[in-house]
Amino acid sequence: MLMRESTPEERRRFYAEEWSEGEIPEFLVKTLHMREFGFDMDGKGPSNRYNQFMTTSELGNFLRRWAPYSAYASVAMYRRPSAREGWMRSELALDIDAKDLPIKTCGCPQGKVCERCIEDARLIAVEFAETLRGDLDLRDVHFVYSGRGFHIRISDEKAMELQQTERGQIVEYVTGGVVPSDLTMALGYSRVFRERAARTLSRIDEARMVEGGIRRSAAARILACREKAVSALRSGRFDEISEIGDLGERTFMKLLELLARINMECTDGKVTVDTKRILRLPSSLHSGVSMKCMLIRDIEKFRLEDAVPRFIREASP
Amino acid sequence: MLPKEYIAVLDPFSEEAREIIGSSPPVEELPEEIRENAVKRVAWKTGEMRVGPDTESVRKDVLSFYLMCQSVASVSYPYSREVRAVSESTRNTIRYRMYDLYRSGMWEECLRAVGRSMRVVELDALQAPPEGLSIPRSDLIVIRALELQADGIDPSDRIADQYEPRYAVRWIDLAPLLKYRRAELTRMYLVRGWSVITLRDIWNLYANFIAVKTEEYIQSVYERILDSGVPRDALVSIGRRIVASLPRAPPGVEGMVRGPSRRLNPEFFPPCVKSALAGTGAGLRNYAVSVLLTSFLSYARLSPPPSAVKITDVTTDLSVVREEIVPMIFEAAERCNPPLFSDQPQEKGGIFYHLGFGMTTNPTPADSGKSKWYRPPNCAKIQMSAPPLCVPDELCRSVKNPLTYYFRKIAEERARR
Repeated sequence: MLMRESTPEERRRFYAEEWSEGEIPEFLVKTLHMREFGFDMDGKGPSNRYNQFMTTSELGNFLRRWAPYSAYASVAMYRRPSAREGWMRSELALDIDAKDLPIKTCGCPQGKVCERCIEDARLIAVEFAETLRGDLDLRDVHFVYSGRGFHIRISDEKAMELQQTERGQIVEYVTGGVVPSDLTMALGYSRVFRERAARTLSRIDEARMVEGGIRRSAAARILACREKAVSALRSGRFDEISEIGDLGERTFMKLLELLARINMECTDGKVTVDTKRILRLPSSLHSGVSMKCMLIRDIEKFRLEDAVPRFIREASP
Repeated sequence: MLPKEYIAVLDPFSEEAREIIGSSPPVEELPEEIRENAVKRVAWKTGEMRVGPDTESVRKDVLSFYLMCQSVASVSYPYSREVRAVSESTRNTIRYRMYDLYRSGMWEECLRAVGRSMRVVELDALQAPPEGLSIPRSDLIVIRALELQADGIDPSDRIADQYEPRYAVRWIDLAPLLKYRRAELTRMYLVRGWSVITLRDIWNLYANFIAVKTEEYIQSVYERILDSGVPRDALVSIGRRIVASLPRAPPGVEGMVRGPSRRLNPEFFPPCVKSALAGTGAGLRNYAVSVLLTSFLSYARLSPPPSAVKITDVTTDLSVVREEIVPMIFEAAERCNPPLFSDQPQEKGGIFYHLGFGMTTNPTPADSGKSKWYRPPNCAKIQMSAPPLCVPDELCRSVKNPLTYYFRKIAEERARR
């Protein structure tokens, strides 16, 4: 998949011919007038802030007129969005950026993305959403393809009132970022941690394990029987993992802590705890990679091709 | 049979408790017994936590609670060791009272109080088919074992009812506790939004709710005192007795929260102070430097109790002022456009004047008290006097004074670590 920067002319074409008000998600349309909008006009960052639009057509006129490099809307709703004052509530948002995944199995360097990275990010988003729905009973969970990864945006009323610390705790829970007090229970956080840790263990390399304080010989033993270790971890048979790696209690704990740390890096926690964050506007163009930022109605059926703008499709041989 | 006001001893922030406070005499006229209890509550043993089932006992308990909180707010500040001690003792008191009522067969009374903060349901009802939760029995056994382990009880002993996971609460109702990390999501057993809990958890969670509210109440009183000036003598005197009654903190612990040994940490400064430190334009310079920075940095660095009126009440070693506080103020003055002292050199003296040393540029301990040591202005005043400095962030919304912001940030950071 070609991911290249779009030209000003292509941006103009995108907003004039392809962009449609109907692609702005309903959860944004309903609260549009309460949000702060930010724009990056030239690719140097979203310095055009404090914008408010009362209607989608007003927003559309702006986009068509200026064809910005990037468009953003706040997760927060304000009484006076144009002054960023009178905070009322904020969506709960998780950002899974494919370029920043802690372990890349595709060989992409950190900061770069390929289709495999994006697929990995999608799977993580699916797992997170399952936990958000199943354990936390959050219902208004929306997926957005951001251009280089996925946003999970939650607009349950009660969750929108949460402050920074509580949001930080949700990140810990959903990512499996803390070693639980019990590792064997069938449901609850114990299961979340095991699943996330198993995913990480299935991808980690020896260097990362050694960096995390595991002896090279123990790391090599575990990785030699990786499948068995992952399956044991997933089902809570911890004695088996210790046996495979010949790990003492302390080293085993060190391994779990390492996995928890890596789990936590699967999302940018700063985005979640920031209740005044601006996130890329679904329906807009990510000009850095020439992809559409779009609401995903069915994450299982998401295909990267759906996010390719017409000017790229038409330019492709 | 308990009187209807009895709920006030389980929830001192209830309507019933507020009615009692509304009809109370001024602090100076409160009976000696209530003043004594305000001091002693912090170190109460379980037997002393009980309240008789009569209206007068309830009234005395509520009044001594409020007197304790207001007195501590008069001599200390939010997140201090003293405030934490009051909050912890309140938590222990409420928890014991819940347990005691349960033991006496008056659990309904407890549930009435608890129900005002969180909805508790019985697990059996939630598990009822066809749509009910399906929780493996093995998980319930582990939950019970963890609860027993937390209290150091051998699971093979006869198991008291309070360790059985028979209840559930919505995790979202626990948000006030999550906010202060008095509850942690990763330590809960969550299924479809319900956190499965035991009776013991209900006591703990509810007691923590009241402890959090106690801290918030002390903060609000502290900010009122900052706003109005010097606290009432009667409150200061009781507050000092409470502080004196607390066990000394182990070496190094106290310094983490307060005291002259704590260096300033600009990372935790509120946005208005950060903005003033970065230097401001001509119209804002005097307010930003002489009023805001001078008071904020000195109070944040020296952490004086509200009863201190001059810097030498806190420390006679002025090197802290000369080497840490003043250089930061002078550097900010230099960053202004134009630099503050370039056209107003007399303002150097103004800085020391606002620090309470009179009009001088070379203060000695003997000068301390020659002028008023100004307290940091409240957020409302900053917003009114220097609106461009006030660009509030999330935390600003829950405080009324920049100093509270700073102390809270420090406390949060400590809790996070």
